Amino acid sequence: MASSTISVPLEVYRFDRARDREPRYQRYTFDLAPHTPVLTALLKVRAEVDPTLTLRFSCRSSICGSCAMQINSKSRLACETPVGPEVERHGRIVVEPMRNQTVVRDLVVDQTPFWKQYEGIEPHLKPNPAHPMPEGRPNSMTPEQVDRFHDTPRCIACAACFSACPAVEADPAFPGPMALAKLYRFVVDPRDGGRQDRLVRIQTEGLWLCLRCHLCTDSCPKNVRPSERIRDLKEMAIRAQGATERGSRHAVGFKNNIRSRGTLNELKLVRQTFGLAGMVGQIGQGLRVWRKKPEITKRPPPIEGVEELSKIYEALDDAGGGR
Amino acid sequence: MKLAYYPGCVAQASGKELDLSTRWVCKALGIELVEFPNFSCCGSGFMDEANEVLNVAVNARNLAIAERAGLDVLTICSTCQGMLTLANLRYSDPSIRAKVEGALRPIGIEYRGTAKVKHLLRVLVEDIGLPAVRAHVRRPLAGLRVGAFYGCHLLRPSDETGGEPGEDPRSFEGLLEALGAEPVYYRGRVMCCGFPIQFVKPETASRIAGKEIAEAKDHGADAMATPCPLCHLSLDAYQNHAERAVGRSLAMPVFHLPQVVGLALGATPEELGLSRHLVPTDAALAKIGSSARA
Repeated sequence: MASSTISVPLEVYRFDRARDREPRYQRYTFDLAPHTPVLTALLKVRAEVDPTLTLRFSCRSSICGSCAMQINSKSRLACETPVGPEVERHGRIVVEPMRNQTVVRDLVVDQTPFWKQYEGIEPHLKPNPAHPMPEGRPNSMTPEQVDRFHDTPRCIACAACFSACPAVEADPAFPGPMALAKLYRFVVDPRDGGRQDRLVRIQTEGLWLCLRCHLCTDSCPKNVRPSERIRDLKEMAIRAQGATERGSRHAVGFKNNIRSRGTLNELKLVRQTFGLAGMVGQIGQGLRVWRKKPEITKRPPPIEGVEELSKIYEALDDAGGGR
Repeated sequence: MKLAYYPGCVAQASGKELDLSTRWVCKALGIELVEFPNFSCCGSGFMDEANEVLNVAVNARNLAIAERAGLDVLTICSTCQGMLTLANLRYSDPSIRAKVEGALRPIGIEYRGTAKVKHLLRVLVEDIGLPAVRAHVRRPLAGLRVGAFYGCHLLRPSDETGGEPGEDPRSFEGLLEALGAEPVYYRGRVMCCGFPIQFVKPETASRIAGKEIAEAKDHGADAMATPCPLCHLSLDAYQNHAERAVGRSLAMPVFHLPQVVGLALGATPEELGLSRHLVPTDAALAKIGSSARA
């Protein structure tokens, strides 16, 4: 038995907002089998060392989404993270509460902002007159329609993505990966009648603040891949409404910018996104950069074979293209 | 070693110093760069937001050029690397591939899906190898504490980029050690530079950049280094905005990846285009100058 265990040094974030001014890290070391989940190790602390250690958990099998926390800086579920690989890579296991939410006590955070953003996207079906729900039998979908959900129905609302997201951290106007992945799920649902309204609304309500850093996709325990669904939402929003916001103007402007020469015309892109009037605000910075990098005002020469690009655009963009 | 050189747009314009230093380093290490004047822009993630299939097609055309020549692609930008890799991946989806082939076939382009795409960082670490890099070092960067800043698209989604753990990579730090520098580990090294929303909400983008630079500084970094010219724009060209956003002076020199390599291999600041940076690199250079004399 002893030979199959390893020494596991845990460093656990401790803080009680009612009593403490500063958090502290408490160290507990156990001999555990490498496959032991971090959650089990924390419960061992609670059972054998300190019953005041506070954390959320329930199912212990990655279903309830309660035990999301930072383990060696990565937001993930404690119940499905084995101690072995963590100790092997980091030499210890630092356990901290999720980010982007206020700590109540130890590993428990106040999830109000997360749920507020979720409610904001109106996460419920809005009846669709073109696709009425028949009385007395479940509403059916074709396999192709079900495929369009991707893995978004698997979301367990653990908030690991919300914790990992730098846009959430930097700007409260960003709804967060989970809320947007949920929004995607309703937008592609053929039973939902709110598609157009949802897409139009989200263009001005934070969609374009996604940094596409993919930290959400990397942290998701259910492979929901929020960053990829946010990309889908962006393309659908442009198709539904056109490029009405700075973010969508920039995306469409960039796409069109490449068409004529095959390479980016940096100055032209700034004009396309900000408009001529908006460019005035960029002049100071532009001059500062231009002094060191005078190429920014030069039109790049077209690539060879630029006519091939035109043909590709004709086939896949002009005709409405896309998925 | 012979590779299809895909410099990307920025390195041919505002980030010309990245192209200069790449050429210098590759020459020093015996990497032959084959140029293709028909390579187009990768779309930088923005084209992907506007039209996914178009983005795959434009990059399949790029990849087909290298495939025809029988060469792997060398990128020097995390975003180019991410976009070309993503295109390869999406191309394996039959419904997307059918549409893309439908657009490429009439113009006589066939892409079989075999081109490999490698960022300079990975070529140095995996193909050239750190012992060989170390053997070329003429001026060890001893005493210089460098915070690597990877750029998202080189790392994530980590199951698709086929690289290293997206939240805890070590390749750049290993390279910095081989050059004699001291790598600085800080959380921000794998985070976003803010660039993708620089045109959407500049104040938020600058707050993000400012936070990461400040964190590197607070962990003792004398300089930062990045394999992505878009991160370089955020961290260097817009550092004045970042300073304003976080309300403190940062004065953080930011190198492109091949510039730190070049410095250690004996290139002069002129050969690496260091005068083109917005934030002067003098303080960092003085540090290695003094340690080289010691």
